[in-house]
Amino acid sequence: MNPHPSSCSNGRSIRTRFARRFLRALKKIGSKGSSSRPSPRDISWRCRRVKIAADASMASAVGPRRVWSRTMLNMLRSRSHACLHASRLGNSRRPGADRHAVGKRKRLVLKRKLPNRLGLNQVNQLRRLVPGGEAMDLDILLDETAHYIKCLATQVKVMRSIVDYCSA
Amino acid sequence: MEKLQVPGNDTNTRKPSWDPLNFSMEIQPKELNSSVDCFFNPSWDNSIDQNDPFESSLSSIVSSPTGSKTAGGHSLMMKELIGRLGSICNSGVISPGIKNSANASCYSTPLNYPPKSNDPSSIMENIFRGGNLRIPGNHLRNNPSLAPLNVDPPFIELAAKYSCFGNESFGGKNAIPKLEFSKLSRVSSGQSAKAAGFQVGNQENKNTRFEMKFGGISQPPLPGNAEFGYSREESPASEHNPGVQMGLKAQSETNSRKRKSTPKGKGKVIASTSLANVVMIDETNEKRSKPDEDSKNEKENTKENADQNESAKTAREDDEKRNLKAPNPTKPPKDYIHVRARRGQATISHSLAERVRREKISEKMKFLQDLVPGCNKVTGKAVVLDEIITYVQLLQRQVEFLSMKLAAVSPRMDFIMEALLSEDNRQMQPLPNGTSNGSSINPLNAAIHQKQSIQTPLVDVFNSPMTQVLEFVHKHCPSSMASQNSYEFSKQLSTFWKGNPQRDLQTGFVQNQTPSFHGQMKAEL
Repeated sequence: MNPHPSSCSNGRSIRTRFARRFLRALKKIGSKGSSSRPSPRDISWRCRRVKIAADASMASAVGPRRVWSRTMLNMLRSRSHACLHASRLGNSRRPGADRHAVGKRKRLVLKRKLPNRLGLNQVNQLRRLVPGGEAMDLDILLDETAHYIKCLATQVKVMRSIVDYCSA
Repeated sequence: MEKLQVPGNDTNTRKPSWDPLNFSMEIQPKELNSSVDCFFNPSWDNSIDQNDPFESSLSSIVSSPTGSKTAGGHSLMMKELIGRLGSICNSGVISPGIKNSANASCYSTPLNYPPKSNDPSSIMENIFRGGNLRIPGNHLRNNPSLAPLNVDPPFIELAAKYSCFGNESFGGKNAIPKLEFSKLSRVSSGQSAKAAGFQVGNQENKNTRFEMKFGGISQPPLPGNAEFGYSREESPASEHNPGVQMGLKAQSETNSRKRKSTPKGKGKVIASTSLANVVMIDETNEKRSKPDEDSKNEKENTKENADQNESAKTAREDDEKRNLKAPNPTKPPKDYIHVRARRGQATISHSLAERVRREKISEKMKFLQDLVPGCNKVTGKAVVLDEIITYVQLLQRQVEFLSMKLAAVSPRMDFIMEALLSEDNRQMQPLPNGTSNGSSINPLNAAIHQKQSIQTPLVDVFNSPMTQVLEFVHKHCPSSMASQNSYEFSKQLSTFWKGNPQRDLQTGFVQNQTPSFHGQMKAEL
């Protein structure tokens, strides 16, 4: 990754793109809920939607050039499709829950105490954290991690500024 | 230099390609075998005419593989080319006339190792390797002849430079050529060429990229060297450059070889690893054997191919990073890294590749260290990775937390969002006057006041930690994450939210956690 473009890409372009998309998504979410006192269930639903909106707007602002953004977009798309199908079939359970359960089981089974040579444990952890990191080489993984950190930081900044603006 | 002018005035573009050869051959009589002399001189004189049939044949051979791209075709082409090259070498004339794109790839290969690929470059490389070039030095010298004939004047310049340079180096020591060649770097040519003032049409050939491990990352005294677009993917390797480079490298290699061992008749000098070995040998005075070189080349080729295929893009980035790191002020962006084996280090091809990989990774780790606050003091990969992981988790939790906050306030935020969006739109385009500012802000203020009045009857349990956090944030944390305070605070926040999944927005856990959170906050304060 080029350190020079880091400031530029973190500047107006990604930040503003993300901010615009995110605000639009927030508007949509806000319009769906009732203006009266929302129940905790509504809040949790809205919370999830906001988080998804944040991830989706960030990934789309970054574009398909990055592995992690591509993975994230595919994940969101498949999740939304799965949810749609599930709702159509009348299945109330979210497919994501199953996926998480399966993943958890796998993790429990495979967990073993290995000598942490070359920081492999950390590398595996990092792979899990960065979307799409499972299938990357270490050098690509580090690149993606750096870009991911940058974008997460912008995300946090923008969201915080929105929150501050709204709460001020 | 004078000699350059002699044939160089020809309109025939092929002529200049012969110039450096002539010149270099003139200058280094010592290195020339007597057979070479008679081998070449007549051929140069005849030059163009004899080259035509070979050129056409070679071009046909070379161009055809581009069409086929099959392993079978590749081997067939290879054999054909080897046979033809053998005949060519025997006759003492090597056709320089291989057409542009094919030539580019062909010439890029000599420095790569690529047996896997089916492009003409690999074929050419194999040809060079297995060709019947009895006279290594001469063979190497022949390579420049293979340079494409559409040579620009800058190429002549480059050739001249190389010739002079070669003259010095071959005059006596390998130190200079070693240094110089070590400074060679393959560049994704187009820009480097321009930087060097050297026009090379490197950007067209995009077959495969390979790393050339050799030569340090140094400022090439002969900027034209940078133009040798070995990257098959990136650059349409110029015809000329690879040829010249090949020739020059071959020369250096032959020189070193002659010092170390009797040169054999094979022409596998062109692999970059060989040259790297040359450099390394000069440095480390290690023994080197032909089979070793062969195996090294093979191994490195395969390894490089594997690496390159996987990380084409990142290799470019790495190279750029490396280049920025390296002390080369005028270094053009490259697609590959040059690695020089340090004194006493292993020069096995796979260990070289390993070292390159490790250096890449450590470079990226350093970059990440700069990105993550608080990582500069720690040393060791594991600790740095731990910090990075913590930071990523922290950021992800912050996003969750903020989304929760936004979810809490979003029902009444429609108009606020509208205002924000319009403001955002306005920020994109500068406003002509300030009145519209005021008009847009007023409804926003009204909305905010309205929201604040509504806020209190909201789910206090949910909001209380948030408002407290918000106050804390306002007090201590700037919007940027760069400050250590915010980072520390965020760490506290992450530990606070660690065990709290999104579903538990209810009173229970929030109230339970607030005292601990307060405690943490106080500790932080």
